Amino acid sequence: MSLLDIQCRHRFPGGFRLEVAFELDRAVTALFGPSGSGKTTTLSVIAGFLAPEQGTVRLEGNTLLDTATGVNVAPQRRRVGVVFQDHLLFPHLNVEKNLRFGQRHRRSRRRSIDLARVVEVLEIGALLGRYPRNLSGGERQRVALGRALLSDPDLLLMDEPLAALDAALKARILAYLQRVVAEWKIPALFVTHSQAEVRRLADWVVVVEEGRVVAAGTPEEALSRPEPLAWRNAMGPVNLLRLEKVESLQGHASGRVGSQRVHLPPMDAPPGSPCFVQFSPTDVTLSRTDVAGLSARNHLAGRIRDVVRLDRAVFVSVDIGQLIWVEVTPEAATELALEPGGKVTCLVKVHSLRLLA
Amino acid sequence: MDYFTRALLSPEEWSALWLSLTVATCAAMVALPAGIVVGYALVRFSFRGKWLVEALVSLPLVLPPVVTGYLLLVLFGTHGPIGSVLEQWLGLRVVFTWLAAVLAAMVVSFPLMVRAIRLAFQSVDPRLEMAARSLGAGRVATFFSVSLPLARRGVVAGWMLAFARSLGEFGATIMVAGNIEGHTRTIPLALFTMTTRVGGVGQCWRLVALSVLLACGAMIASEWLERRQTRRESA
Repeated sequence: MSLLDIQCRHRFPGGFRLEVAFELDRAVTALFGPSGSGKTTTLSVIAGFLAPEQGTVRLEGNTLLDTATGVNVAPQRRRVGVVFQDHLLFPHLNVEKNLRFGQRHRRSRRRSIDLARVVEVLEIGALLGRYPRNLSGGERQRVALGRALLSDPDLLLMDEPLAALDAALKARILAYLQRVVAEWKIPALFVTHSQAEVRRLADWVVVVEEGRVVAAGTPEEALSRPEPLAWRNAMGPVNLLRLEKVESLQGHASGRVGSQRVHLPPMDAPPGSPCFVQFSPTDVTLSRTDVAGLSARNHLAGRIRDVVRLDRAVFVSVDIGQLIWVEVTPEAATELALEPGGKVTCLVKVHSLRLLA
Repeated sequence: MDYFTRALLSPEEWSALWLSLTVATCAAMVALPAGIVVGYALVRFSFRGKWLVEALVSLPLVLPPVVTGYLLLVLFGTHGPIGSVLEQWLGLRVVFTWLAAVLAAMVVSFPLMVRAIRLAFQSVDPRLEMAARSLGAGRVATFFSVSLPLARRGVVAGWMLAFARSLGEFGATIMVAGNIEGHTRTIPLALFTMTTRVGGVGQCWRLVALSVLLACGAMIASEWLERRQTRRESA
């Protein structure tokens, strides 16, 4: 029996068709796809806000929706917590009353999620007496997360939890999300159109496009399918490396992937802590041999895992201790005879690396 | 009544004032729950015959009050379809009593009340209600803990509008409640009665001033309530 099992079909008056089916077992799952691909609609079906023409939803073995037998459990009885993209805090209640809203209305309680602990983990103690209109975006997001947690849900749905925040805040909220997942172990399904967020937070990812599931699996495997690789713009493929043993000497920062050193842009993170860097597959140059006399500071040796040929580009995944994607032209791929198993060196300029906290 | 109060207003004027306030307060109070239910239903639900409800609610706004009063007289008269039932079962006679004045005021002011309340519910984000449901609150609990508190300004405004309109009600009242001093003669009726007396026009000013005062009072009260609400929320 899987944790969540959903299958639904719905046609909207505008002509958009949603036809998704997937199962979840993992702690944190990302629902990933371009905007307008039906991610939020899928959340609405799970939460009970939208009854599809045909479908079933089962959570921990309980049927929440089955159009064939006419079962449609009301949203308030589904035990599904929702964190909305624009938070939707109750403007007439202060933060504490917002947090206690779920506690007040939930009939039966199973886990004991304690207000004091939520306030501590999310660091919102100083906000309790304030009203939502006087909170910043990041504060609202934390309160919304706390409010959903305190309603004691069996599943947490988050609609683009980081989309409305700027980069610095994103990193902080991401850290809070990770803490929440570690502390209460409530399974979560979150919607995102950022590959970095998927890699950072999710154990499992369901990739949707135009109302259909095009891939599902661990982030490594699911994101290496042709569909997500072919996406352009902000949500196209990105690389995310987790660096260990970060050190900063005389303004030069560096960290390690396995035994290889990665030079970083100047930073002031505490030394020794892990850090994440993000860079685009187009920022990497591939070389069959390690060449000297180049300005690119990072020479990372690895083996080709996979070569995915798309229309106008070839994506090469290279295992340098962690998997990274490199985008090359079809001509280059042929000329260099890039094949799985081949040894290559990945050249990356320091300033192509974007640090994430 | 002591000397001072008598110096301010005549007994007839006191009785008109007292009656006006009682009738308007009762009318707005009794209509309020219905106004809230109808206002909310018109915003949130789509049901068969919605247009009919909408038309019925707005009708007294465009109908001459005298016509509304006549229809009420027919319905609630001793031989009318509702009046006869009330008299038979409850021994209650409505027409030409102060209850009829309340009834007339209620019907005539109801469209204004519903309009204000409906606007208020329209400005409540339905997704806030969804959020409440996902937190475990049922439909009724959601209504009382989210929708109604968020719409309360409009509800208060609706009450005030209905109250003020009730104070000024004349046409329907005189049809269904008559013009009986001490029972149904509210300020507008007293004013009308006074002007029909010889030399009465010169004596009207006190009642006119009273009407202006009451109207201003209602306006100031609603403004004050609004400000208090705003201050609390931005704390």
